[in-house]
Amino acid sequence: MTKFGLRRCDLHEASQLNELKMDMSGLNMLAGWATNGDTIMIEQMPIFGGYCGGVEETAICDVATMIASFCLFNCDVHLDGPIHIRWGTTTTRETLQIAAHAAAALDQNTDLLLGNQYYTLAGPCTEMCLLETAAQAITDTVSGRELVSGSASSKGVVKDKTTGMESRMLGEAAIASAGLEVNEANSILEQLIGTYEKDFARPPAGKRFQDCYDIKDVVPSNEYLKVYEKALGTLRNCGLGL
Amino acid sequence: MVATRPLGITDVYDRFVKGKRVPESDWDYTIIPQNATALKEKYKLSFGKETIPEDKKTMNDLFQAGLEMLVTTGYYCQDLGRVMHVTEEEVWEGIKKTPTKIILGEGRDIARFYPRHGNSPVKPIIQGGPTGSPISEDIYVQVMQSYAQEAVIDDLVDGVMTTIEGHPAKANTPYEVRATMAELRATKEARIRAGRPGLGV
Repeated sequence: MTKFGLRRCDLHEASQLNELKMDMSGLNMLAGWATNGDTIMIEQMPIFGGYCGGVEETAICDVATMIASFCLFNCDVHLDGPIHIRWGTTTTRETLQIAAHAAAALDQNTDLLLGNQYYTLAGPCTEMCLLETAAQAITDTVSGRELVSGSASSKGVVKDKTTGMESRMLGEAAIASAGLEVNEANSILEQLIGTYEKDFARPPAGKRFQDCYDIKDVVPSNEYLKVYEKALGTLRNCGLGL
Repeated sequence: MVATRPLGITDVYDRFVKGKRVPESDWDYTIIPQNATALKEKYKLSFGKETIPEDKKTMNDLFQAGLEMLVTTGYYCQDLGRVMHVTEEEVWEGIKKTPTKIILGEGRDIARFYPRHGNSPVKPIIQGGPTGSPISEDIYVQVMQSYAQEAVIDDLVDGVMTTIEGHPAKANTPYEVRATMAELRATKEARIRAGRPGLGV
């Protein structure tokens, strides 16, 4: 493209529709990128409690969708994101289970490159947001995914409520959980999910980027650093070796 | 039967065009839920309480169920209102054709992308960013810099610039295209400010 557009080494991203569905807009974009030799990522976020139904049914559709991204639509990387129909997040107990099972199923049977994206319920500068992010990072890493992508805090729908600190947690939790035994990770997750799922009905709204970062120097506020340290403590108490 | 070749995008389009017409509501409310439930029962899938599966049988059964879901159900094109089908042999040809190693980004900022398998001690690629969240035009560079400067980040993912030159970046308008291009310019500036100009996006 142009010198200011995406490069071939950037991930050109198209979306499927829910469930097992595509549109002409997506096909047309993919035709152009494939012809140009661009690197392609296709995303799809199966809805738990939607057309598929329960946990196992949603995981079946998720696996079918992931295979289709590669075999029908010629992507190089699939970006997953099972989402809860009630809470609109990827960090619930059920959606983490779907993502983990679907990833492990493909990981066990193929060499395909799999990613997952993050939508937390709580907003930035809150411990809950960081713990939600960490739980998914552990789940994705231990179930064999190759890429973790996020985080869209506040469900990705509130303006300016997303910052680099959430990605720091995503990365640190992924690094700390790489190589863990699966049963050890499940034990950590059981405790960790319990610390935040009780607050789903009243999640902390958190702060906008402008309110928890120094905009001139682009550094997080002392308040956010303290919240981050508290979250690290909670994760250590759950058994994660940070 | 052996596949003639892996499917390309135009092959998929051709099959959509020749596919059976199905009302979208039938697809959503009948075909998808009925087929998913039937396969759950056929493969006796029940995940229990484990977040991450610990037994290979569950993983393999789920893979077979998902593969069968794709092959027996097909795929729906929303604009054409038609269903295309793919064979299992074509699926495996597609899997074989897909690259398993790619490189994101440029120069000293590249991220090497290859299969991890199981819970490898090698960390996954950390792609940081707002993941499509709405971001104000006036702080877009700073928000993206906050990700690019994080030591653990290997790659970036954009947010959505809510306005362009003060105009709402409304979908399916020229402003949407201009805002998208502005996002990419701003992300490049953020990468440069963070000292990682080659980071992939």
